[in-house]
Amino acid sequence: MAGTINEQQAARFLLRAQFSARDEDIRALQAAGYDGWLDAQFAAPRGQRGYDWLNATGHNAVTAEGRYFWPQAGDFMIWNQLLAQPGEMRLRSTFALSQFFVISLNPIDGFWPPYITASWWDMLGDEAFGNFRTLLERVTLNAGMGMYLNTKGNLKADEKTGRQPDENYAREIMQLFSIGLIELNPDGSEKTGPDGRPLETYVQDDVTNLARVFTGYDHDMRRVKRQTVKWQDYPVISTEFTLDPMVVDPDGHSAEAVTFLGLTIPAATPPADALKAALDRLFAHPNVGPFFGRQMIQRLVMSNPSPAYIARVAAAFDDNGAGVRGDLKAVWRAVLTDEEALAPPPADPLHGKLREPVLRFVSWARTVGTTSETGAYEFHSTARADEGLGQSPLRSPSVFNFYRPGYVPPQTAMARANKVAPEFQIANETSLAGYINFLQWAIRWGYNDVKPGYGELLPIAHDPKALVSWLNLHLAANQLSEESCALIEHALGETPLTADSDRESKLNTLAGACMLVLSAPEYLVQK
Amino acid sequence: MSNVITTPVTRRTVLRRAGGIAALGAAAPLLHGLTAAGDAAAATGANDYRALVCVFLYGGNDHASTLVPYDRANYARHLRIRGGGFTRKDLADTVLTPRAAQTLTDDQQFAFAPYLPRLKVLFDGGKLAPVLNVGSLITPVTRAQFDGNNRALYPLPPKLFSHNDQQCYWQALGSEGSSIGWGGRIGDYAMEANDHSLLTCVSASGNAVFVSGDKVLQYQVSPKGAIPVEPILDPKYTSQAIAAAMRQLITRPSSHALENELGILARRSLDMERVVNGALSKLNLQSSFDLVPGDNPLADQLGIVARLIAARGELGSRRQVFFVSLDGFDHHSDLALKHNDLMQKLDEALAAFYIATVELGVAGQVTSFTASDFGRTLVKNGDGSDHGWGSHHFIVGGAVKGGQYYGTAPQVSATSDDQVGQGRLLPSTAIDQYAATLARWFGVPDGEMATILPNIGNFERRYLDFV
Repeated sequence: MAGTINEQQAARFLLRAQFSARDEDIRALQAAGYDGWLDAQFAAPRGQRGYDWLNATGHNAVTAEGRYFWPQAGDFMIWNQLLAQPGEMRLRSTFALSQFFVISLNPIDGFWPPYITASWWDMLGDEAFGNFRTLLERVTLNAGMGMYLNTKGNLKADEKTGRQPDENYAREIMQLFSIGLIELNPDGSEKTGPDGRPLETYVQDDVTNLARVFTGYDHDMRRVKRQTVKWQDYPVISTEFTLDPMVVDPDGHSAEAVTFLGLTIPAATPPADALKAALDRLFAHPNVGPFFGRQMIQRLVMSNPSPAYIARVAAAFDDNGAGVRGDLKAVWRAVLTDEEALAPPPADPLHGKLREPVLRFVSWARTVGTTSETGAYEFHSTARADEGLGQSPLRSPSVFNFYRPGYVPPQTAMARANKVAPEFQIANETSLAGYINFLQWAIRWGYNDVKPGYGELLPIAHDPKALVSWLNLHLAANQLSEESCALIEHALGETPLTADSDRESKLNTLAGACMLVLSAPEYLVQK
Repeated sequence: MSNVITTPVTRRTVLRRAGGIAALGAAAPLLHGLTAAGDAAAATGANDYRALVCVFLYGGNDHASTLVPYDRANYARHLRIRGGGFTRKDLADTVLTPRAAQTLTDDQQFAFAPYLPRLKVLFDGGKLAPVLNVGSLITPVTRAQFDGNNRALYPLPPKLFSHNDQQCYWQALGSEGSSIGWGGRIGDYAMEANDHSLLTCVSASGNAVFVSGDKVLQYQVSPKGAIPVEPILDPKYTSQAIAAAMRQLITRPSSHALENELGILARRSLDMERVVNGALSKLNLQSSFDLVPGDNPLADQLGIVARLIAARGELGSRRQVFFVSLDGFDHHSDLALKHNDLMQKLDEALAAFYIATVELGVAGQVTSFTASDFGRTLVKNGDGSDHGWGSHHFIVGGAVKGGQYYGTAPQVSATSDDQVGQGRLLPSTAIDQYAATLARWFGVPDGEMATILPNIGNFERRYLDFV
């Protein structure tokens, strides 16, 4: 493969596999080929973990104003990860996983919300190149997930009070984190019964039964240190509980038998064995490959993969070639190097996907180079559509992510063709303008302490043709048409610069050029 | 539970808020006056205008903490199953007494959650009607039919108890993936009445299938109004040439479908921003949407709805369907704490909106109603409740025949035949009937009802007459 990948192909691949396509990445990919490059990413050391970064930046300080309750540093942490940490492909994969297994900083309260989300993000990152089964277990026992979907504190039924186990996690682990609602063929198509209706994977009774498995759990406080402080009448706890898997108290755990998806876990099975049996059952379900695989294709490559493409990814999930099920390295490889992904963009006018707002911004920032003046990465929620990006990492409005995999924007060509376009769920009159307005300031002046460098671009700022060509390749894998490039070059040329023009004028031009590229539909739709 | 150790902040917050309840009642006289004024304004309102406002409570509102059994016998049943919650003393100020005597199932008497003092005033003034046990149904079903297997004769709505699907069913009478909502279908019927057809169906809370029609498109506005594309209006550090290029790039047609749709969206955004903000800039609406300290996203959204209604003359709007929402109702835990806060927001927002419609002289022409994923189990799961089915909802407005209940009160039970286990209510009134009543008031003729609500023919009684 080496030597056969041209710059455009390399940029196109890189902008799916990670956030940005810098020259050194393009050269590395050309030298190693797709498979060799992927091997290198899988083996690459990871950057600083979110948890460690929070400690290193002093967010573990116990202060009188009670910062240990403040959520803000959770945003600082994730933006530091997305913008500044090395190991882009792992980060990109982790971001995709964070939209399949969802927790959100929004409702997380109590002690140390930033550490809750950091430990969640770090865990997803640990397993991004691992195995789905391990990941599913760590998701289930994660301290943040325990808070988000109520496994923490979930108690067995109590006849005296009528209390029943909470069903939240039992429902969502099936509906969203493993098998989905409908029986699927390996190519992702829905199975139907004799009456022609889709076959449902489970019913309410399965949920009620499975809920018993997730009873008796609570945060593991064994490593936690309690610090007495003079400004409140209860101690401040340390952050280790966010890292450690939840622990089960057998007294709170249901001893009832569990029957779900055709499996019976006998009464009085020890909690850990019941958990293992339940997760094994979900993991073995033939839906997982196509259900998970399709959504990862949607996140990284295209909204409407062909059934054959889904089937190939599902097959890689089922068996990595060495008889291992659930190997995520095999899934990413299958998603990114599929013939359908690597073929030149087809003439099909429905090909591709809408780039997510967060990815647009991160891609820009890593491409032009940004640095923090203070190391603080003081990004606040970017969720507002009217003045932000309309999407904020690790701040999904609900467990159903920012958009649904089956979303069809009404009265569009996509709807008429019976195609989905998930990211259009957050594209509207308000977010379209809010995003561009956000860019106007941020790409010129930065966001708080994070400032754009434009180091590689300053030398060509006075040359519209060279500048647009550079941005087109690195941000858009040359998706911008000649006509659009000419339009942008002409507009830039109206404010002529020379190599000797001052730095501020050059930065004005560079920001203007980036703003045009990042707003152009030819860029926004990743093909 | 050891929750306590990790949630001390919220524990303190609730105490602070509880201290404020008594003070909230002070708004009552003001509201009392306005409920009377609403009648007069409606009677003299000569302008041809009607609006429906869907207030969606995302996550599944716990109906049993919203409208609480108060009479001794039923309160005792409620307490036995649910445990904890409000005492009868807590509820004494918000007990509801129908304006005309009504006998409910098991002689139930309800009280509003104590955090709904303003809504109680609206009930007392006849401007609010609770509709009991409404939910998704395709056809009426009994408990025995629900337990049976004859789905050909007794079909059930798809994917009961699932958030996204039941949100979608409430909004569009189908599971996730449905692309046309019943608000949108009502809009299809009405869009020709408006100068700007795009202002027929408006969401102030992001994308909602409810306001998506077959012909009508939903227009999404922010609580601040329409958002201009600043770099086109004011190039700042760039140039007029860049601004012009920006407009051209983002709006021009493309042979690629997704790109082309983005262009259409950009044109719509730019065109409507001029129209909408132009009209809003001339307004003078006095009513406050900040009756209680603290942020209230629902009040912010209803604020822009009120302003758009205020600008109806300038905008040429005559028939409008609005969508607003409040998030966070999925109370699997900490129910008491978190629900109170949301009730307070709902109370503030609905009351402020009603007052604004009175100021605008359109109280009788604007009808608001609540909707939510589902009700919740009456049986608790610790300190929360689980996904249910039927729920209680409210209709608010000057045209509402309020101060009395509609629908059938469910028994306070986790074993009776009007629930399907753990107190999940088997709906006795269908969303279709609830919607048909609103649609008829809005002006949809009876003959058209089945195109908006395809299953309405399955229900003997189409309309509930609450408005």
